[in-house]
Amino acid sequence: MGRKNYWFLFIIIFAVLSIFICTKIPFQLGLDLRGGSQLTLEVQPTQEITKITSNEIEGVKAVLDKRVNGLGVSDSQLQTVGTNQLLLELPGEQDPSGAAKVLGETALLEFRIQKNGTEAQLRDLQTQRNSVESIIKLLEENNNSAQLIKEININNEINKLFEKYNIQSKQILDSEEFKLLRNKINTEIATLFEPTSLTGKYLTNAGRRQDQNTNNWEVTLTFNSEGGEKFADITKSIAGTSRLLGIVIDGNSYSEASVGKQFESAGITGGAATISGNFTSDDARNLEVQLRGGALPLPIDIIQIRTIGPSLGTQNIRISLIAALTGLFFVGIFMIFIYKLAGFVAVLALSFYSLFTLSIYALLPVTLTLPGIAGFILSIGMAVDANVLIFERLKEELRNSNTLIRSIDASFKNAFSSIIDGHLTTLISCITLFYLGTGFVKGFAATLGIGVVLSLFTALTCTKAILKFLMSYQGLRKISNFINPKQIPNASINPQQ
Amino acid sequence: MKSNLNVQLYKNRKVVWLVSFSLSIISIIGMLLCYRSSTINAPLNLGLDYTGGTQITLERQCNNICIELNTSDISNKIIALKNSDKNFNLNTSPNLSRSQIQLLDNSKLISIRLPFLSAEQSESVVSEVKKSFGPFINENTSVEIIGPSLGKQLLKSSLISLLFAFLGIALYINFRYDRRYSFLALFALLHDVLIVCGVFSWLGYIYNVEVDSLFAVSLLTIAGYSVNNTVVVFDRIREKCLIDKQLSFKYQIDNAVGATLTRTLYTSFTTLLPLICILIWGGSSLYWFAFALVIGVIAGSWSSIALAPSLLSITSKN
Repeated sequence: MGRKNYWFLFIIIFAVLSIFICTKIPFQLGLDLRGGSQLTLEVQPTQEITKITSNEIEGVKAVLDKRVNGLGVSDSQLQTVGTNQLLLELPGEQDPSGAAKVLGETALLEFRIQKNGTEAQLRDLQTQRNSVESIIKLLEENNNSAQLIKEININNEINKLFEKYNIQSKQILDSEEFKLLRNKINTEIATLFEPTSLTGKYLTNAGRRQDQNTNNWEVTLTFNSEGGEKFADITKSIAGTSRLLGIVIDGNSYSEASVGKQFESAGITGGAATISGNFTSDDARNLEVQLRGGALPLPIDIIQIRTIGPSLGTQNIRISLIAALTGLFFVGIFMIFIYKLAGFVAVLALSFYSLFTLSIYALLPVTLTLPGIAGFILSIGMAVDANVLIFERLKEELRNSNTLIRSIDASFKNAFSSIIDGHLTTLISCITLFYLGTGFVKGFAATLGIGVVLSLFTALTCTKAILKFLMSYQGLRKISNFINPKQIPNASINPQQ
Repeated sequence: MKSNLNVQLYKNRKVVWLVSFSLSIISIIGMLLCYRSSTINAPLNLGLDYTGGTQITLERQCNNICIELNTSDISNKIIALKNSDKNFNLNTSPNLSRSQIQLLDNSKLISIRLPFLSAEQSESVVSEVKKSFGPFINENTSVEIIGPSLGKQLLKSSLISLLFAFLGIALYINFRYDRRYSFLALFALLHDVLIVCGVFSWLGYIYNVEVDSLFAVSLLTIAGYSVNNTVVVFDRIREKCLIDKQLSFKYQIDNAVGATLTRTLYTSFTTLLPLICILIWGGSSLYWFAFALVIGVIAGSWSSIALAPSLLSITSKN
């Protein structure tokens, strides 16, 4: 046992540490392995802001972060991807349509004042809306009963409305279609109002509550001091007139209210307001989450949705692990069969390699996905290759009638440049993939890249240290442990030394 | 000094070139056929990742054997959604008649391919199919929706990363060896990538096999692997030339290939073992990925053992 065995000791310590890490720190699994939903959102430029910079995307992200937190999915993650995209992960979420709805809307809250001379128009639209709303209520109470729908279908008035707002009229109508109609009417109403400087920007909070009399949900708004002043000014300017105050969200008027004569002197003070559209509890909750997060500075498009079932994920892990382990088992048998003692050393070194790599994955952490596991298996292939290169050299040196210890040293020295070249070229691919690739391509590049770096280390140090350690035992130091003696041209040479 | 194996690459170089040339031509024909075909319209049959659209996979709950389903029944149910479902009654709603339905794994899995849908619309399709063709294992449903703009972006980023990786590898070899080696390693790499693409274009043309992001990953892995192998051979050629300057370059090449042949074959074999295991036991999600790698490993071994060194011999002066 000489100085060389320090390395061996180090490796053993590293291995024990790795086992500790692998058992104590859980692996971070990607959505394809644990199930859940993933949404990719793309920030869209507008006429005012044609180029999306990191400032804009940060602004959008800040708003979405608040909305995502409002969704109440644990462990959810939102990160920026590239120059104009955001990636949202919702572990365990099986139906992302709710999230898609809450996130996708701009939620721009505006307070508008009715334009002069639009009273009659507004009254007509409000009447239309009221009748549509009563139909919605009726349909919902009766679970969209077929009989009711039939009756509504014959109603000429209703059909005219659908035609007017360009909604394709079909024989089967249900409450959802009437909601669509209501929204169109609300958009029409909003055009009768002119914007003021008071927007959702001045909100400090939003909440919801149920009206005791109507059982409808309301959304409550609280302004900051500046917003409170603006609200007072606006209400003051129309108090006692026939002009109404409109609360408009994303271009739809949700409610219109008159301001009484008593507010003529100071306006409505106190910095609070209520939106009392005909909300269901879900609608109110969504609106509350959106308003509390503020309006999106730029519109977003949902360009990708992936949903994967939780047990599908575990099935994926099991299947790929079984396949990989079986493959590696065969590789091990092959190595021992071809390289005898050296093959055994390689199997040991590769086991250490796997341990080190896995513990690095847990430590960093690297999110493991299915392609990530494929990357890991391929990196084992690279590690095996390094060992094959060394041992082929070793055989060659032995065939050239060199002594065992000198052959071992020479084989590591001669294989070095090939191993370095091979590993570095693969590493170049990995780095390119990591920086230019997206999504799970990145995961593959990360696991393979880490694997390649560690493989370089294990091939050049682990294998050597273990081999040297074993060579300190006389009984193992035989050429016949490495090569079939028949292959050595000059077999009479002293096998030891 | 005894060479490991007696390889006569120089003597057989024309056979090597003929084999590689014919394989490349067959690959190019496959890609042209795909490009000319009205349904594919690209050199490879691009999958959901690159074209955009919706893919829904449902797993059926069956006792022992799953009863055969008629795919046109399913597609009719989906088309009917256009008239009955609230999420599809907008003017802008996608064309549901363009659905592709496949039954996989002995009818256990239903895979539905549709144009780009919204989250709500895909929910409607899933619940409709579950209602009409159940029972299903609810936890094993997967839905993937990719917007057309994202698809184009993915294709672009895949191509760019491939290009940059090739460039980086070429620069590295240029730095470690010289321009001739660098050019040939890159040539061998392109040969391997072309053959893998060719195989997949034929698969796409005949069996409708599609290429996805994982395919781009496999191409990059193959590139790294091919260069790795070529470099090992080149490294040995350079070493032999330094040790023994008397022998002709052609003989050195034969010698170096002989010395590294066992290593290349063993390495290819040990790489193929886990891949073949994934092919057999790995399930459908990694099947074509592993398949592409298998083809790539075989092509990569061929080009590094035979093609690249034999081409090196014509670039030498003696």
